[in-house]
Amino acid sequence: MAQETNSAKYSKATLDLINTTMIAPKKMKLIIMILSILSILGIIGIVLKILNGFEDKSAWGYYAATISFLLTTAAAAPMVAIAPTIAKADWVRPITRIASLFSVVGIVTALASIPLIFALPPLIVDETRRRSIWFEATNYSPHVWFALSIFGLTLCGLGLLYSSSIPDLAAMRDHGTGWRKKMGKSLSRGFIGTDSQWKSLQMRIGMMGTFYFLMLMFVNFLFSIDFALSLVAGWKDAIFPMYHAMTSLQSGIAICILAMFFARKYWGMENYIKVPQFWALSKLQLATTVLWFYFFYSAFIVFWYGRSASDQMVINLLIIGPYLPVFLGAFFLEFFVPWWILVWNRVRKSIPSLAVVACLVLIGVLLDRIRIFVISWSTYSNEVIHKKFVPEQDFPQFMYPSVADIIVFIGLVSLSTLIFILSTRILPLVSVWETHQSLLLTKVVKYVRTDVIAIGKPD
Amino acid sequence: MSKKSILGLFDTPDQGADALDGLHNAGFESHECDVLTGTPYPEGTFGEHVPQHRLFRFPLFGAIIGLTLSIFITTATQIAYPLVTGGKPILSIFAMLIIMYEMTMLSAVVTTVVGIIFESRLPKFNLGAYDTRITEGLIGVVVNCEEKDLSKAKKVFTDSGALDTKEA
Repeated sequence: MAQETNSAKYSKATLDLINTTMIAPKKMKLIIMILSILSILGIIGIVLKILNGFEDKSAWGYYAATISFLLTTAAAAPMVAIAPTIAKADWVRPITRIASLFSVVGIVTALASIPLIFALPPLIVDETRRRSIWFEATNYSPHVWFALSIFGLTLCGLGLLYSSSIPDLAAMRDHGTGWRKKMGKSLSRGFIGTDSQWKSLQMRIGMMGTFYFLMLMFVNFLFSIDFALSLVAGWKDAIFPMYHAMTSLQSGIAICILAMFFARKYWGMENYIKVPQFWALSKLQLATTVLWFYFFYSAFIVFWYGRSASDQMVINLLIIGPYLPVFLGAFFLEFFVPWWILVWNRVRKSIPSLAVVACLVLIGVLLDRIRIFVISWSTYSNEVIHKKFVPEQDFPQFMYPSVADIIVFIGLVSLSTLIFILSTRILPLVSVWETHQSLLLTKVVKYVRTDVIAIGKPD
Repeated sequence: MSKKSILGLFDTPDQGADALDGLHNAGFESHECDVLTGTPYPEGTFGEHVPQHRLFRFPLFGAIIGLTLSIFITTATQIAYPLVTGGKPILSIFAMLIIMYEMTMLSAVVTTVVGIIFESRLPKFNLGAYDTRITEGLIGVVVNCEEKDLSKAKKVFTDSGALDTKEA
């Protein structure tokens, strides 16, 4: 059989994908303008919150929930690419770029977390040390180490994105036009695809991916403990940091599904992102949805069965207290509804249905973050923090978000979306070199009376 | 005599592999030849020399430096300001672990980013013999040799079915 020529096989993919960075989807300018205005409003909202001061901790609850929401969605999205890439899964190649492109949102999260770091109370309050994971450490240890970790995570994410984009920047240098060509030339830094360059590149992607995973878990650990758990007197829960990290993966998958849906619909990626990618992610989404209940229940059963005064306080404050409707919303949208939708195989193969499920999960995660962080920040006071646990009379009333809180939330989400969209003007939403690799290593072959896809796994 | 490079462009991996075999038979050394591709091919596809990498060195040294620094910082501060709490030892490993983990990770990440630049032999300001069609799927075989050997290499490329050749 005659061997298919490479130019016929790969050329179309290269030019198609490079063109997606140059041809804007319909109404793109309008969308960018609206997002820019909302982003500016968000920044004004943050400035207003800073001007109002850091003394009233309850005023920072919704802000903490917003940062947590960004941290658990955008920061976790690159993991969708990392884990299957390390496991050499072929289906993930068309979506690795979308997932790793969320690393740019890390810049927004890291910068927006600075005011929250200033709002976080020090370890010594009224000359008495509050309980924390920092034992006898210096007064501002949580502030310093969290700042270092979140900027470290951002650096790691950008390093991962850059490493995996070098060959595509080289393709941009070769086939792009105008400023894209110049940018490709400058950022690809002379990449020509020698053996040693490829080997080095693939090793780096593996290493940066592993580091990203380790940093992400660590940032989730610090954020969940320092910015929620240790602000509530008597809340002791070893599972909570893991719950926070696991729900982060759940929402990371959801945001990737949503981005893939839009990439197909508005960026014309139907030929590259297909049902197998959605199907594979839907199974991971189902697994994390079920795991939500496992982690929640593992923590809940200890408090429920323990029955000590502080155990009962945790249930009364965080579950059946004034935020019960928010908890129920999170319970149904993060677990119950997605579980019963995703359990059907037909739904897992339906792209619009999966986009709807992804939206439900994201709303559920947002409600869950509001429940956890608004309660934590509105419960905190210099008097209550030193008590054994929060007495019922000190429970906060249900707190609605202020206008500034709503503006900040919409603004930061808009800014994140804007940065993501602007990144697609530089890098194609589907990686060129990984598309080539997929074409190289997969082939439809006849097997008895059916056709199957044979996938080469060279390593 | 000055070194020159010549590139042969091929449309199939078989032709690229034949060209590399032909170059070896014509007396060119492995280190003089390189294969340029737009996607990573399985190792040894073209019978090329497999480069040895030492990529783990950067993160490893970074991690060791970060860990050492963190142990120094946590130990030194606790010994400098000894506060006995609940009869626990001054150097409490669980209190030190968080800082040790973070500094190890941060240092490893930073050195890995630096390593990407160094180990990839980037930046490479002069691309040498190169063709933009490589990122469209063509396979480039490049030889860096004495000027007098260029014609010999060019003949090998033509015999192997090269679509085009380029000198630089």
